[in-house]
Amino acid sequence: MGIGVQLPALGESVVEGTIARWLVKEGDRVERDQPLVEVTTDKVDAEIPAPVAGVVEKILAAEGTTVPVGAELARIAEDGLQASAAPAAAAAKAVAGAQPVAAAAPAQRATPVAKKMAEEARVDLRRVEGTGVGGRVTKADVKPEAQRGALPAAAAEAPAARPAARRSAPGREAAPAKPAFLSYQLQPGDKLIPMTPLRRLVAEHMVLSKRVSPHVGTVAEIDMQGVVRVRDQHKRSFQEDHGFSLTFLPFIVHAAVRALREYPRLNASVLEDAIVEKKDIHLGIAVETEKGLVVPVVRHADRLSLSGLAEVIEDLSGRARSKKLSADELKGGTFTISNPGRHGNLYGFAIINQPQVGILRMGEIVKRPVVREIEGEDAIVIRPIMHLALSYDHRAVDGAPANGFLHRVRELLETAEFDL
Amino acid sequence: MARALRVEHLGLVPYGEALELQEKRVEAVRAGSAPDTLFLLEHPPVITLGRSARRENLRLPVAELARRGFAVHEVARGGDVTLHAPGQLVGYLVCDLAARGVPDVHRWLRGIEASLLAALGALGLPAAPRAGWTGVFVDDPAADAAGLAPRKIASIGVGLRGWTSWHGFALNVTLDPHAFDVIVPCGLHAVRMTSLERELATRPEAAPADLDARARAAAAAAFEAWLA
Repeated sequence: MGIGVQLPALGESVVEGTIARWLVKEGDRVERDQPLVEVTTDKVDAEIPAPVAGVVEKILAAEGTTVPVGAELARIAEDGLQASAAPAAAAAKAVAGAQPVAAAAPAQRATPVAKKMAEEARVDLRRVEGTGVGGRVTKADVKPEAQRGALPAAAAEAPAARPAARRSAPGREAAPAKPAFLSYQLQPGDKLIPMTPLRRLVAEHMVLSKRVSPHVGTVAEIDMQGVVRVRDQHKRSFQEDHGFSLTFLPFIVHAAVRALREYPRLNASVLEDAIVEKKDIHLGIAVETEKGLVVPVVRHADRLSLSGLAEVIEDLSGRARSKKLSADELKGGTFTISNPGRHGNLYGFAIINQPQVGILRMGEIVKRPVVREIEGEDAIVIRPIMHLALSYDHRAVDGAPANGFLHRVRELLETAEFDL
Repeated sequence: MARALRVEHLGLVPYGEALELQEKRVEAVRAGSAPDTLFLLEHPPVITLGRSARRENLRLPVAELARRGFAVHEVARGGDVTLHAPGQLVGYLVCDLAARGVPDVHRWLRGIEASLLAALGALGLPAAPRAGWTGVFVDDPAADAAGLAPRKIASIGVGLRGWTSWHGFALNVTLDPHAFDVIVPCGLHAVRMTSLERELATRPEAAPADLDARARAAAAAAFEAWLA
């Protein structure tokens, strides 16, 4: 009779394998060490070689079946020896060994000590959950059962009261806990919108930012009359020179960049146990596009004039909307300005764009009655007012510098000494 | 274990060619005519299905993948579906585990993981294995606590012929993680793929320009420290 080919112990924690594919069939001649069969375990695909040269006499485990370590997979009639005339009994025995694991499980899944203890205490091993390597039942698993076994029969016969004992998920490593997402039963008429990769990225970034960074908000009320006047003065000539209209955004960016120079703590990042105040100022401009929110970066924003800023912002936001930005143009921002620009937007606090420590969010510019001292007398006048909200990271920035920065932005905008 | 390890840098090699090369080296190592080898290389775009791969983990039909420049291969390694493309460092380890005194596939897998962690550590990225999953993930407790999807940076899939290993790992260096959008990497829906470049970019010290070469050197050093 032939030489048996067994599923080898591929590792201490490997207790079984699944027959993926036979590379030979019955009657094939094989060389010694020639791969016979592919067996898969969770992350490894193992080819089992022929132990001897000869003819494949019998294949004992079908493709797709899961067999325990040590099970006989095939028999090979070794060269020079005649194939056994009556291998039936041996084959039948081997087949039993190669049955799917579910049937053979209890015997395979306990350490010898545990088996002995179970036998003595008459504990049914199938009812014991294994905590050992590969889900094997150990002495420690059997012990409480054995002690219970010493109690009156009724207690031992009440497995229903112990749901753990009924579980039969042996061998596999426990599945890791999944992140907690809401589950929701769809109702008729509900619309399910799968997240695009960009949406997912934005979502995860928002959660991360709120998680790592304690946000504080502060708001300034800014009289935009000076800026409006400068803009009105240059509106027509700017349009003629540049081919697009001058918006308020470059003014805000210009003022913010100058204030950042004076308050470097707002142009920073938090490391594990240090804060970096960055030399360069690369300003992110949050732009809403059809596809979602993107934040192109104006590099070295402090080196640009007002019209230079306007040019770059126009170019970046245009290309953001037509999806023509390169990955580099979205990287490396050190501070961000968000301009949601919708009517009805008094003010609101943006989420900090990590790993930055501050973000300014522009409110709508609306004419409002405000009190001004004119020629020594208080008077109610009508002015274009914008609320500018700063969110800052309290790990790096305290209230005084944050308010100082915001106040300086306000001062620069209200003084409105802008050269185009 | 006084066995030598030869590290061979192959550059960009089509998947099929690399597979043949591995097979030849597997036979040579089994015959004792070649030393244990670590091949370091990159592949042109290709999607490979391990033995336990499920077709539904391809998000596009094979014809559409082909139109997008991805060849699809079924291969004799463990694991589900994965993707290779330039910018990803691929390492194939052809080693005789029995001769090394480690006839244990799980210890082998853990060794590959540990070496990748060491290489990433040397490159400035803290990474960690994750209980229950094979592969290497970015170590980000804040993201974990916030319930964000774990970010996988390297995949591992190993084959054995007798006790000689083949296949190995794939480490995303400068490969755009969005390349993986066409598949469910490793069949794990709850995992997001990332790259070394991307992870280093979120840290204040910018990623160096020659990241691919540095990753190659770091991986070679880490595996030599383990196996040579």
